[in-house]
Amino acid sequence: MNRRTFLLGTAGVGFAGCRRSNLPRLNVYNWSAYVAPDTIPNFEAEFGMQVRYSTYESNEEMLAKVFTGNSGWDVVFPTHNRLQPMREYGLLAPLRHEWLPGLDNLDPAFRAPEWDSELLWGIPYMWTSTGIVYNRSVQPPLTRWADLWDLRLKGRLTMLDDPEDVLGACLKKLGFSFSATDPQELNRAKQEAIAQKPLLRAYLNAEVRDQLVSGDVLAAQLWSTTAQQAIAASSNLAFAHPAEGSPFYCDCAVILRESRRQRQAHQLLDYLLRPGVSAEIAGFTKTATANGAAHRLLPEAIRTNSTLYPPREVFQRGEWPRTLPPATQRLRDRIWTEIKSS
Amino acid sequence: MNLRRWFLFPSWLWMAALFATPLAIVLAYSFLTRGVYGGIEQPWTVESYQRLFDPLYLSIYLRSIVMAIASTGFCLVLGFPAALFIASSPQHKNLYLQLVMLPFWTSFLVRTYAWLFLLRDTGLINSALQAMGIIENPLPMLYNDGAVLLGLVYGYLPFMVLPIYATLERMDPSLADAAADLGARPLATLFRVTIPLCKPGIIAGSVLVFIPSLGAYLTPDLLGGGRTVLIGNLVQNQFTTARDWPFGSAVSIILMGLVTVLVWAFLRRESENLA
Amino acid sequence: MKRWLAVYAAAFFAFLHLPLLTLAVFSFNSSQFTVWEGFSLDWYRAIVRTPQIMEGTWNSIIIALTATAISTVVGTLCAYGLWKRKSPFLTGSLYLSLVTPEIVTGIALLAMFQFVFRWLHWQLGLYTVILAHVAFSIPYVVIVVLSRLRTASPVLEEAAMDLGATEWQAFLYVTLPSLVPGIIAAALLALTVSFDDYVITSMVAGIDSETLPMVIYAMARRGASPVINAISALITVFFGLLILISERVRAAG
Repeated sequence: MNRRTFLLGTAGVGFAGCRRSNLPRLNVYNWSAYVAPDTIPNFEAEFGMQVRYSTYESNEEMLAKVFTGNSGWDVVFPTHNRLQPMREYGLLAPLRHEWLPGLDNLDPAFRAPEWDSELLWGIPYMWTSTGIVYNRSVQPPLTRWADLWDLRLKGRLTMLDDPEDVLGACLKKLGFSFSATDPQELNRAKQEAIAQKPLLRAYLNAEVRDQLVSGDVLAAQLWSTTAQQAIAASSNLAFAHPAEGSPFYCDCAVILRESRRQRQAHQLLDYLLRPGVSAEIAGFTKTATANGAAHRLLPEAIRTNSTLYPPREVFQRGEWPRTLPPATQRLRDRIWTEIKSS
Repeated sequence: MNLRRWFLFPSWLWMAALFATPLAIVLAYSFLTRGVYGGIEQPWTVESYQRLFDPLYLSIYLRSIVMAIASTGFCLVLGFPAALFIASSPQHKNLYLQLVMLPFWTSFLVRTYAWLFLLRDTGLINSALQAMGIIENPLPMLYNDGAVLLGLVYGYLPFMVLPIYATLERMDPSLADAAADLGARPLATLFRVTIPLCKPGIIAGSVLVFIPSLGAYLTPDLLGGGRTVLIGNLVQNQFTTARDWPFGSAVSIILMGLVTVLVWAFLRRESENLA
Repeated sequence: MKRWLAVYAAAFFAFLHLPLLTLAVFSFNSSQFTVWEGFSLDWYRAIVRTPQIMEGTWNSIIIALTATAISTVVGTLCAYGLWKRKSPFLTGSLYLSLVTPEIVTGIALLAMFQFVFRWLHWQLGLYTVILAHVAFSIPYVVIVVLSRLRTASPVLEEAAMDLGATEWQAFLYVTLPSLVPGIIAAALLALTVSFDDYVITSMVAGIDSETLPMVIYAMARRGASPVINAISALITVFFGLLILISERVRAAG
């Protein structure tokens, strides 16, 4: 009995020790590599809060936790086309503009976006596109989605572990829209993906960055921000915005309705809207910021980087994928399972 | 008998609250419907079970069963000689047993990661082969069914060795001697006498390897690169990213059913053997 | 044939242990890649400097100790109760719980917790992980203690009771002391299983209850890193030593 009492006592002491401090807490769940090292510590120091900061690699990973409605997170960063389902499910807290004076810093293009024209639900944070990052040793250079079906790349090619991007690439290769709802179009896209699978090394997200840098992987479908991080680490890599068209994604900062720290959450959002803060993040993480005032502060090299800030033609070829109706989403989920297990 | 009732009370509580109730809830969920964006909703239906008969999902079950059989087979072939060695050693039996069990005591995750470290393109095996000039480009040894199989075999090998060893230990050595006296060569003795006598241990070991292999999740996830979808991955996927709890519950119930039938058959056999 | 068996055994043990040894060796490699560049403790220092790893380890320890304590007590009592008189229902549940695939246990517990949370408005946290660990540890404890009990003779207890002891006294002073090595073995098993668990924990953990295996998994998903090698080496050495010491104690006792 002595041993057990000791063990229970230790556990008790452990629990007591866990209460680290009495500062108000804010729980923030963000994409990995989306803040600068100082960003959160500076926020904590200035506002006298303690931030629990965790990261995820995909929307689905975040949504799996958040959809229960009692995940414990206060601020998360969904991609723009997830805002509507989250709103309809009652997960989001409406934003109070009187607590967000920094809204004017946003780039005009993001002040009334098509997914949330009054900016009631989310603040555009960083945006990205999906394209192809490839090793310069691959000649001729890759320029189209269709190039990713090239047999030469067999075993040295990866696609994103993301149904939206993989199906999107297939749809674009066939000339359809990213937000296609027609089952026939989707099934044809599925055939393309299944045809491509034998060439693939794996379906990988940001994990493939190291393999690109080391040269194991010659070509990868990747988000422009992660691609830029890889290119910065190795001069052998180049990025292409596919000729058939790129998707554009905007990650938005939202406050969850379950959060009991709405004021503090707004303070974080306003802090992230500051030009200096946003510029520091964009400069460190090599991401494209939706903050116009911050964009002007960026060094020339980054501001004109075509991977992160593509020229106008790329925008015109591209799309902002829209929220899909539930039936289409289910069909896509099923198609994704079929692709993964073929 | 008052004492016994008090003693068993916490276990009954465990069984009711932490075993039966969760399974009952999963069973109930398997008959409900998925909400528009996830969650559970009212219409009671067998739709989830009907979906299971789709060739896509049947093929996932089939692949999982084949993988489990393969992993059991390899464990048997690799583990039997090791058990034979330990049982026939005059000394150090305990030492050898500890050497077999030692990896089991360390983390399963760590042991699976070890193969990730060894098999990847910049991993040890490829680097060594390249350094020795045997190959020029790295061999893609990771992110395929073979890697998953290797991970499963490596993880569950001790579970095969121990039951076989236990049976061999209890075997009467004079039987093998008798066979030798009658003129049988060592290999014949092995296959005609030793192995058949070992059947209980072989079956026990096979069950201990087959069942976890069937429900494996971590190994195909880490070593399969998202390309290998087995039942475990399917269940996890439905409960997290796909947010289709009813369907995931149906898959889980069927898996539980398979496992229960196997164990029941095994235990029946065991009690028959003992009787 | 004996010689072939010995050769095979050597290869077999090498296969079992070399991967872990390699991990450990390369945890001291100063380079990030698998080319040996020099001896270095950098990765071990990185462990201490990464708050996420330290917090994960702390959580794992708390959870493992608490869950082990509870499940050892409950499991020992259960084993004793089953030894006295069989209960096929309970035994069946214990066996079934043991063979249930971890992912199924995980999602089932998650489903139950979320169901309960509809009314209680609580969240997943350290306590849900502990409950889950208790749930899957109890069968292990019961099996170990029960197998130990089966080698014991009930005659001793009966003798004690004939001499005037109550049931409780017979248990406490006669049976329990002889059970101690078995209980320790069971507790160690529960501790190891709890500390190592990833699948079930990942399903029921809350935002403040990340365990060490969860941290390792997240890092492993992002690609191999020498820090994982260092953590792995430490875990292996720690639990290896723990088992060896316990074996010595058991052999002596």
